[in-house]
Amino acid sequence: MTTAFVIAVPAKGRLQQNAEAFFARTGLELIKPRGARDYRGAIADLPGIEVAYLSAAEIVDLLAQGVVHFGVTGEDLLREKIADADQHVILLDGLGFGFANVVVAVPQAWIDVHSMADLDDVATAFRLKHERKMRLATKYVNLTRSFFSTHGVTDYRIVESAGATEGAPAAGTAELIVDITTTGATLAANGLRVIEDGVILRSQANLVAARAANWGAAERDMARVVLDRIAAQTRARAFREVRTRFAGWDAALLAEAKDLFGVETPFGGPTSSGMLTLHCPPKHVHALATRLREKGAENVVVADLGYVFSRANPLYSKLEAGLGPRA
Amino acid sequence: MTSTSAAPDGRADTLLASFERAGYARVTPAILQPAEPFLDLSGEDIRKRMYLTTDPQGRELCLRPDLTIPVSRDYLASSPAGTPQAFCYLGPVFRHRAEGAGEFLQAGIESFGRLDTAAADAEMLALGLEATAHYGLGAPDIRMGDVALFSALIAALDLAPAWKRRLIKDFNHKTSLVQDLDRLAISASHARPEYQGVLAALAGSDPKAAHALVTDLLSIAGITAVGGRSVGEIADRFLEQSALGAQISLPRETRALIEKFLAIGGDPDEAAADLRAFAREARIALDAPLDLFESRTGFLAARGVDVGRIRFSTAFGRGLDYYTGFVFELYEPGAQAAGQLVAGGRYDGLLTRLGSASAISAVGFAVWIERLAQLRDTP
Repeated sequence: MTTAFVIAVPAKGRLQQNAEAFFARTGLELIKPRGARDYRGAIADLPGIEVAYLSAAEIVDLLAQGVVHFGVTGEDLLREKIADADQHVILLDGLGFGFANVVVAVPQAWIDVHSMADLDDVATAFRLKHERKMRLATKYVNLTRSFFSTHGVTDYRIVESAGATEGAPAAGTAELIVDITTTGATLAANGLRVIEDGVILRSQANLVAARAANWGAAERDMARVVLDRIAAQTRARAFREVRTRFAGWDAALLAEAKDLFGVETPFGGPTSSGMLTLHCPPKHVHALATRLREKGAENVVVADLGYVFSRANPLYSKLEAGLGPRA
Repeated sequence: MTSTSAAPDGRADTLLASFERAGYARVTPAILQPAEPFLDLSGEDIRKRMYLTTDPQGRELCLRPDLTIPVSRDYLASSPAGTPQAFCYLGPVFRHRAEGAGEFLQAGIESFGRLDTAAADAEMLALGLEATAHYGLGAPDIRMGDVALFSALIAALDLAPAWKRRLIKDFNHKTSLVQDLDRLAISASHARPEYQGVLAALAGSDPKAAHALVTDLLSIAGITAVGGRSVGEIADRFLEQSALGAQISLPRETRALIEKFLAIGGDPDEAAADLRAFAREARIALDAPLDLFESRTGFLAARGVDVGRIRFSTAFGRGLDYYTGFVFELYEPGAQAAGQLVAGGRYDGLLTRLGSASAISAVGFAVWIERLAQLRDTP
């Protein structure tokens, strides 16, 4: 364990499926050489990497201790379980799954409460009237405390909740809750409503590096290989390739395309034969194709990209900036 | 129990002996305490400084972070609860701190049930001064405040209830309310379009009828007591918002008045004269707390305290909402950053919040033993 480069991956459920799909897309195929029930795996074509299948909570602990190098876990757990999380881990990239917001929710019947300022006032009024503080059920004790502290709310008590937090107000064990929600449907079904400025954290699964892990030259090289694949695929997913042959292309048009559509030119201007290759964010592809034809392009061909490998690797740069220079 | 083994020297024991001679019975509350009362009274922010644990039944316990609450709970649980009783203590308390050990010694005094408020207040400051003198510091810096004056001012102002709650709460929790007045604003969310018309219509109506209407509407929606707040409470505050009207930010003249009040300070005699003048000019009745204030100053002088050395400020609070009146802190001159040596005050609301059925007056202070012991090398 001390010699290998270890990547911790969620061991079950939708997070595991999403994480495996993510790695597969980037060309890092997770395999379990000793069978599907094994909690130790590897990456198909990268010997020297160990994949540890662990529970989400364990992944956070091991990242904090530096027992693993990389981990896939939700930002909500990281920030809840690690005090001063940024001192201990580097969040390299949001992975586009596991979305969940940590929110403050109150009973729908509280028609007088819409903001944290309202809640502050209601909490104080509640203490004065009932000679006790409002109870807030949550498993996010630390996130709640720091969020309420920044909003100056003091008249509340946290009741730790292990599960089914959204049922606490109806059960009479708390007045309000802090919990994760994706659509808000579960909250609504329990007669709860999110406060307007009560979103504590917009969380998703992240690729996370542990600062305390052993980061010698070999580990950094390995990290660069892994992050190169991820960055290449991330970049590829963010763009479509747009190709056309085009006489009227000039610097003014390029400036306009960059400005309006966020276009990039991976190979510079058109070739001698007039072939032009652009990278365009998917949402602007149609507008760009229209514009190019207005300017005289006969045909515009758009294709998905597999990988875009660049000399610059923003993810590795982020890791090295966080860890400091090599020894 | 000998809880003084960690004492740097024997002076803490002789200090306690002097407290005992002054009529304060020495008590040794349990070190392991239920966490609930501390979190309830000091706020969730103290949780990160507490040493917490859980017993097999799932109850949260802590190593006591102070002794005021344990002494108060033991008093309430005892048979003389409600009668005047006076206690002193010396022992370890436990708090996570950025610097220094998590375990340190506190001595202190708690006095319950006395009705001679001014004399009891003065006795606390006098005994606190004896404590620093015991360690060779005869003339510490004395900072003094009086939460009751601010409460009386706010009660007398013509302000919406939401504003009053907000100002009192902020006074108790902010180091400087004056700087905060700029940012103070009651939530503007009552101006939400879907409710604005209703609120405007209700604003001019008979309060009882409006209350009945809102209560009925909530009841029709099948909503009864939800989350500990009754339908009546929700209706009350909903209607308060209609009355709040234009008071989204603090009215200019009210703000000026509060600022003027919070600027008053000096030695207690100067401050009292300034406060009398302020009350006359603003036509605000501060007579009761000011009479008590002046009476307290008289008792302090009678006890031989050099009143002219006290730095009183109307803006001085101790950051805990259970203080209700007189508060004070003693410092080594020129070393305020090193922390208070002795601090305390009046907390008449504490015992009710700890479960007492009747109001019991309470006043006391705590002594930071290690800080005092480090003042001088020789006693």
